[in-house]
Amino acid sequence: MKTVYLVCATGIATSSMIRVKIQDYLESKGIEADCINFRVAELTPERITADVIVATLSIPEEIKAKFKVINGLSLLTGAGEEETLEEIAAALTD
Amino acid sequence: MVEILATIGGLLGSLGPLIVLPIVITILGLILGMKLTQALRSGLTLAIAFVGIFLTVGLLGEKMSTIGTAFSQRTGTGLDIIDIGWPAASALAFGTPVGNAIIPLGIVINIILIFLGLTKTLDVDVWNFWHQAFIGAIVTFLTGSFALGLFAAAVTLLMALWLADWSQKLIEKYFKLPGISFPHLQSAGYMLLAAPFALLLNKVAFLRNMKLDPDTIRKRLGILGEPIFLGLFIGVILAALAGETLTDVILTGINVGAVMLLIPRMVGILMEGLSPVADAARKFMQKNAKGREIYIGLDSAVLIGSPAVIASGLLMIPVEIGLALLLAPLGNRTLPFIDLADGVFVTAMLVPLVAGDVLLTVILGAIVMGIGLLGATMLAPAVTDMVANAGTIDIPAGYSNYTVMSDAAIPHSYIMYAFFKSPVMIAIALSLVFLVVHYFLAKKFPLGVKLFGEAKEPESK
Repeated sequence: MKTVYLVCATGIATSSMIRVKIQDYLESKGIEADCINFRVAELTPERITADVIVATLSIPEEIKAKFKVINGLSLLTGAGEEETLEEIAAALTD
Repeated sequence: MVEILATIGGLLGSLGPLIVLPIVITILGLILGMKLTQALRSGLTLAIAFVGIFLTVGLLGEKMSTIGTAFSQRTGTGLDIIDIGWPAASALAFGTPVGNAIIPLGIVINIILIFLGLTKTLDVDVWNFWHQAFIGAIVTFLTGSFALGLFAAAVTLLMALWLADWSQKLIEKYFKLPGISFPHLQSAGYMLLAAPFALLLNKVAFLRNMKLDPDTIRKRLGILGEPIFLGLFIGVILAALAGETLTDVILTGINVGAVMLLIPRMVGILMEGLSPVADAARKFMQKNAKGREIYIGLDSAVLIGSPAVIASGLLMIPVEIGLALLLAPLGNRTLPFIDLADGVFVTAMLVPLVAGDVLLTVILGAIVMGIGLLGATMLAPAVTDMVANAGTIDIPAGYSNYTVMSDAAIPHSYIMYAFFKSPVMIAIALSLVFLVVHYFLAKKFPLGVKLFGEAKEPESK
């Protein structure tokens, strides 16, 4: 089962907001994935087992170097939402 | 009119959020164009989130009920008011009568203002209306009037929009986020207070030359950034200093760690319930704001990724504890607790004022939170009342008082509280003056343009 990490400052607010959208989208495309919320401060490279990280804020370089990180801001503002959702789906199915 | 509002307020209060919120949210969702099942799902999820939140906040209250007083007596610090943290406070605020009405109220006010061309911010972050609901609830507590609480909430909603307009250019320049603004009262409120100090600090050359490196700080203090560890440490230290037995010390550590994890999880459920509605609100507002230049108003959580913000947020932990102790002789009784974990919300919007300098940010944070701790102490009776009304805890005499460090420390919270301690007409007049000041700041002195126009380019993202 694929895993998606949703990352924001607290792991509560913005990550929960985008999680619902992402889960609904993936379900509609028939992609199975676990979505887990995280706060950015908890992300150390050793702890990460996600296939994709979707973040509403900037992620430290060391993590971007090793993992697939997608900017989730468009899911909050609405601008570019579709493209981001497609990008996430693509990252999970390659 | 006031009597009608008072009756509504009373009705909302007696039915409680578990009944009122699902109804309000479902109706709101339908008006915004959601399908019935979707709207109902959001409403029901919200109510369920509340069940969870009341349970976990009750746990917090139960476990910490005597520790605050014991700690303060044994250590002689006089810090007997426990900070319950913003996750709990947000839920409590939404649960009050003003809180029940805040989301529709906020959306309506925002749309009207955009139509009148008085703001460019479209606040889609309906979740964060809770800060205004918090202030409204405090005012209701002070005055006993639901109408005044609504007034206070409405006025603060306007102020938040204008603060967002005011800070927009500077934030855009610093964080490279075009088209976005931050009506998040928590961070924007601090920014307002800090701005004059930042103007001064920026002139002090030698402070700027003592560069603190964000990455080293993150490596050293990083573990405190994890709530369960922070909770364990603080719980253990607090219980130990309060003179508990060894078993109880460990248990407290674990229970506090539990609270740090569980309350936010419940709040996450609330967010999930709210998010389809927020999305519908956004689409609705964008449709109705066609053709105007709009900034999308977001939660300042979006700004937390920058190393400077994280590093200074971590440093706020020892700073806040130190301040609490230092200010005790001056009247502070607030014991920083749950909100130690979220120092980043204080620093997020302070960082651009000093071009990302960690040391200067921490100094600003110290000034803002120092005053804030006193504010939090002042607001404690109102918060304790909110906790008691959540229906899960009794607060008998001799037990702890509660406050919320993050929110009660927002300048707008204690300023509005101070206003409404005066007779009603004066309070209303003062609020309106304060409101107009915000408007002029946004119009005449935008940050990043007129003020702080020479903000240096930030570090790379």
